Amino acid sequence: MTADAHGELTSELANDIAVEIDRLRTHYVGRLPEEFIALEVQIAALDGREKDRKLLENIHHCLHKLTGSGGTFGLAAMSTEAREAENLVKSWLEAPHLIAVDAARAALLGVLSRLREAGTHNTVTPSAVNTTSSAPFSHQATGEQRLNLWLVEPDAQVGEELVRALTQFGYQVRRFAQPYELAAAIVGARPDALIIDIGDAAGMAISDTVSHTLITLNCPLLLVSEHGDFESRASAARLGASGFLVKPIDAARLVDHLERIFDAQQALPCRVLIVDDDAPLAEHFRLVLCAAGMEVDVLSEPARIIERVATFRPELVLLDVNMPGHSGPELATVIRHHDEWLSLPIVYLSAETDLSKQIKALNRGADDFITKPVSDPQLVAAVRVRVARSRQLGELMSKDSLTGLLKHSRIKEKIVVEVGRARRNGTPVSVAMIDIDHFKSVNDTYGHAVGDSVIKAIAHLLRQRLRKSDTVGRYGGEEFVAVLPECDEATAKQILDDIRERFGALRFRHDGIEFASTLSAGVACSTTLSAADGNELLIAADAALYTAKHAGRNQVRLAGE
Amino acid sequence: MSALQKILYVEDEPDIQAIARMALERIGGFTVKVCSSGEEALQTAVDFAPDMILLDVMMPGMDGPTTLKALQGFPALVDVPMAFMTAKVQPSEIAHLKSLGVRDVIAKPFNPLTLAAQITAIWEQK
Repeated sequence: MTADAHGELTSELANDIAVEIDRLRTHYVGRLPEEFIALEVQIAALDGREKDRKLLENIHHCLHKLTGSGGTFGLAAMSTEAREAENLVKSWLEAPHLIAVDAARAALLGVLSRLREAGTHNTVTPSAVNTTSSAPFSHQATGEQRLNLWLVEPDAQVGEELVRALTQFGYQVRRFAQPYELAAAIVGARPDALIIDIGDAAGMAISDTVSHTLITLNCPLLLVSEHGDFESRASAARLGASGFLVKPIDAARLVDHLERIFDAQQALPCRVLIVDDDAPLAEHFRLVLCAAGMEVDVLSEPARIIERVATFRPELVLLDVNMPGHSGPELATVIRHHDEWLSLPIVYLSAETDLSKQIKALNRGADDFITKPVSDPQLVAAVRVRVARSRQLGELMSKDSLTGLLKHSRIKEKIVVEVGRARRNGTPVSVAMIDIDHFKSVNDTYGHAVGDSVIKAIAHLLRQRLRKSDTVGRYGGEEFVAVLPECDEATAKQILDDIRERFGALRFRHDGIEFASTLSAGVACSTTLSAADGNELLIAADAALYTAKHAGRNQVRLAGE
Repeated sequence: MSALQKILYVEDEPDIQAIARMALERIGGFTVKVCSSGEEALQTAVDFAPDMILLDVMMPGMDGPTTLKALQGFPALVDVPMAFMTAKVQPSEIAHLKSLGVRDVIAKPFNPLTLAAQITAIWEQK
């Protein structure tokens, strides 16, 4: 070996090798698009006849290669995706009859899209991530990259209106009158999502018109149809549509769907705490989960569990059952003694195969049992599924069901946390209180359903126009609170004014009557009001809101102005 | 037992060839001969006289197991340890591959930084 006496690589060699691996990896990643196109061609050639078996064998082979090579070059997520797909295709090949071609094609196109996603997103090296992270004041409103939508809408009036509404919500929209126009546009350009109004085209007519373009475009698809019947929905599902809307199109509902799609694409990494006294094994699990894009912390001293859970705030704890001193079930019980961690998923990871012992251990506060040895993809999948489910439940518990924003109590907690953090860091934090003007008359005139859609629209706008690090909550009926860390008074006012103008430009409709609504807001910043705590900021923002209302509404006021 | 020096590596995929060769030559300090197919390996193996042979499993043309069987037929290679490198992970598949007479099965994806150490460890197994 060319390593030194301790089996360690010398730093010079390690550096050389890192450079070399990077070079090979860049080359590999650069070649991936060709691999994907080759795969795409084979998928497109599936036609339900006997030659499909040969095609599926080729596809299986491609996927198998991607499994091995992807992981070796550090594209762990792509490797996992390819492995799952490889197993799926293998099961088709082993089945006595050919699988239905539509289903196979749709499934494989889904796979391909995820592979492309994983193949491009994973190529970001840690240093690149640091340089592209957003600067403290780079709000979307001040020039962050906007999501690009393509809309196919034959009706000019409906189309223009949708473009206007979607633009107000911060999207960049390009409209096409007919699906065939897409074919020319896809040369050198790609949308982040595609919306197609298929009118009253029923059943298979959809796939004939659009499917080829979709294969090439390979982006999330939303279909809008005249009919909400089962057949139309089923053919949309076959096309791999992420959403299906029945006319008339409501912009807020459309944005709802879009946000769900984009949120799912940008899920934050899972945070996992591993408690295991077997250091090499814990390190192996850590590497496997890190390679899958998770944040992992390892604790080898069980006695420090409380402290570590409090500081690391894991979304899932993997607990060894048999450790010297303190057993897994004992630790699970200790965690459960804290009310705030009652819903934290705890999973035992143990070589224990005795079912009665497993059940006994589960009775002590943990949620599940994974038996060692566990394969790497199995571990990743087990953790990912449980964290996703727990996040969904968490959302339901902490978020307002109408708007998806934080509930009253949670936003107040958040303000206290953020103001404390800002004081420690010596950075500004702004709190904004926002209220819809004359909302009662909207409800009285158009009914509560329309009132709800106005509330949803403002919620969307707030989420759209604020940064990921900002937090928005529904404070009361038509009252909202936004917390903007690292944001000074002037920037906060500018952002809120932008949101106010966009909200004012939205048009709502009820029974053919069109109306607009406005909002007022009050902003308070920690640096202007010296030594303010969260509660004082909230009171000051509320007072500023009161001033805005009395000065004639439809405006943003600063505290103490 | 003399030290592991020469490795014959059979793999059809150029990217994997490149990174494995780099890992084995630069980190392990081994002399590596790469063959892109089972057929090529059969023509090369005896003349190259490797200390160890690494075989990919899924290859177009002659696959890994077929190549292994053919290589095992050469009297000059009977004492040369062989190992598969594969992205197959099902325990049953691994067990089947091991039953064909290889010393071990190396899982893909592999870690380029530890591959040489892994192969040395397999070579030292008896």
